[in-house]
Amino acid sequence: MSFWMLKHPQHLTAIMDEESGKEITYGELASLVQAIIGKLPTASSKMLGFILCNNEVEPLIAYLAALQKKDAVCLLNNAIHHNLLIRLVHLYQPEWIYAPDVVVLPESYQVIHQSDRYFIWVKKTGMFQEHHRIHPDVAVLLSTSGTTGSPKLVKLSYKNIQANAESIAQYLELQQEDRPITTLPMHYSYGLSVIHSHFQVGATVLLTNQSVTSKRFWDFFRERKATSLAGVPFIYQMLERLKLHTMNLPSLRTLTQAGGRLEPRLVKHFHQMAMQKQWRFFVMYGQTEATARISYVPPDRLSGKEDSIGVAIPQGKLSIDEGTQELIYEGPNVMLGYANSREDLGKGDEYHGILRTGDLGKMDEDGFFYITGRLKRFIKLFGLRVNLDEVERALEKVIPVTVACVGDDRMLAIILENEEYADKAKTEVIHLYKLHSSAVQVKVVPEIFRTANGKIDYTKITEMVM
Amino acid sequence: MEEKLREVFARALDIPEEMVKDELEFNSIPQWDSIGHLGLIAALDEAFGIMIETEDVIDMSSFKKAKEILAKYGVQV
Repeated sequence: MSFWMLKHPQHLTAIMDEESGKEITYGELASLVQAIIGKLPTASSKMLGFILCNNEVEPLIAYLAALQKKDAVCLLNNAIHHNLLIRLVHLYQPEWIYAPDVVVLPESYQVIHQSDRYFIWVKKTGMFQEHHRIHPDVAVLLSTSGTTGSPKLVKLSYKNIQANAESIAQYLELQQEDRPITTLPMHYSYGLSVIHSHFQVGATVLLTNQSVTSKRFWDFFRERKATSLAGVPFIYQMLERLKLHTMNLPSLRTLTQAGGRLEPRLVKHFHQMAMQKQWRFFVMYGQTEATARISYVPPDRLSGKEDSIGVAIPQGKLSIDEGTQELIYEGPNVMLGYANSREDLGKGDEYHGILRTGDLGKMDEDGFFYITGRLKRFIKLFGLRVNLDEVERALEKVIPVTVACVGDDRMLAIILENEEYADKAKTEVIHLYKLHSSAVQVKVVPEIFRTANGKIDYTKITEMVM
Repeated sequence: MEEKLREVFARALDIPEEMVKDELEFNSIPQWDSIGHLGLIAALDEAFGIMIETEDVIDMSSFKKAKEILAKYGVQV
């Protein structure tokens, strides 16, 4: 049975919503989903829907409706830059768009339904393009990079999302009694996986847009007795500063961490805390290309393996490519492929269950895996994956001088030879990637280091800057 | 002292001092999101030689509120 069919005892609570204070049972949720299916357009062929979402009930219902009626659905941040949204609409030609009432769409779309704060838009009659069929396996489209300007999407199948939900529910030993509180947006694969895996077991999802730095978040947490917290490294930095162990949270039982490497110091800190408090602390690894999750460290094996990504999830397998040392993952949650436009939605499975992660790895004598570096130049800032080469290309479009970008998981550094463009470079990157200004540093140098054959010497630049 | 607090806010959030007013609220500008908040708390701890308690960290929802909270720590604002 698929989690999006919501086949659980009707009286069980599926959602508690912070914003509205509402509680919704699985029975009520199933009816609400049916009602939205009735509002969405119908056609003889599979359609594509965009949902501009945050962690609220309405977009979540629309998402479940899309899955149930077998339309392909792309989840986007509802704070998406308008220009990027318009670009995505042109590239992917969605038949319908579910968006907050403040969003304005091109003239080729019209509103067919209005609820409190959300509109359903459809492409006007005669604008359907029959030749751009969507492959029946395509279920969900997610952006790999969070909020960047890239229109590239990961295509996930129904099998992908179901298999990953099952694997996660299995190794986390999720139960009906669990009450995860949302700390991550649902358009982000890790945030979405929390919802999927808990709907799989009939648990109660505590929906909120509040962050761990707000009082409302913790009031909601205590009032509704949350049992688990999911966090990217930044959230753990915040939880450390909040002195999580001193906070009165008797309902808390499980902490999970993914979305980038958590420094071993913090792994140890939270591991010790978890042992004292009898919480379970899961350090995990994943990629949107694998739906969400690839591996995890069983909590009782964390001692001495604080820098490990653990073992493959149930149904999955990890290995190291002998030639390149690249970490390879195989499993039913490996995406169908990437899409760059509507045409790409017509293609089926191009990866056949095998994902080259782009990370370099090694395995220890106990069969635990470790990441030793990256094959490509990606960094992760606050859980957002940033391709340094892509940043350079974006900057070179607006700045007429050579730019080199380096970085680690705390800082993106832009290197320029010309002071004149320093401010523009920083502003542009912050704007494009919606990064916090404290995470972007510009450095002006007399001459950018180059290797003997004239290529930018990133190793040397990194040593100098970071 | 309010001036010093204003400076710390402006520097930590990377915004002009003119923007730091009583009405400035958490999440009302992109710079003061949860990431900005973590940096702001660290900057306040350091600038005033204090360690702001958890309840106050999550209660610091505006510049006005920050002044009230810091007063509890003996910082005259």
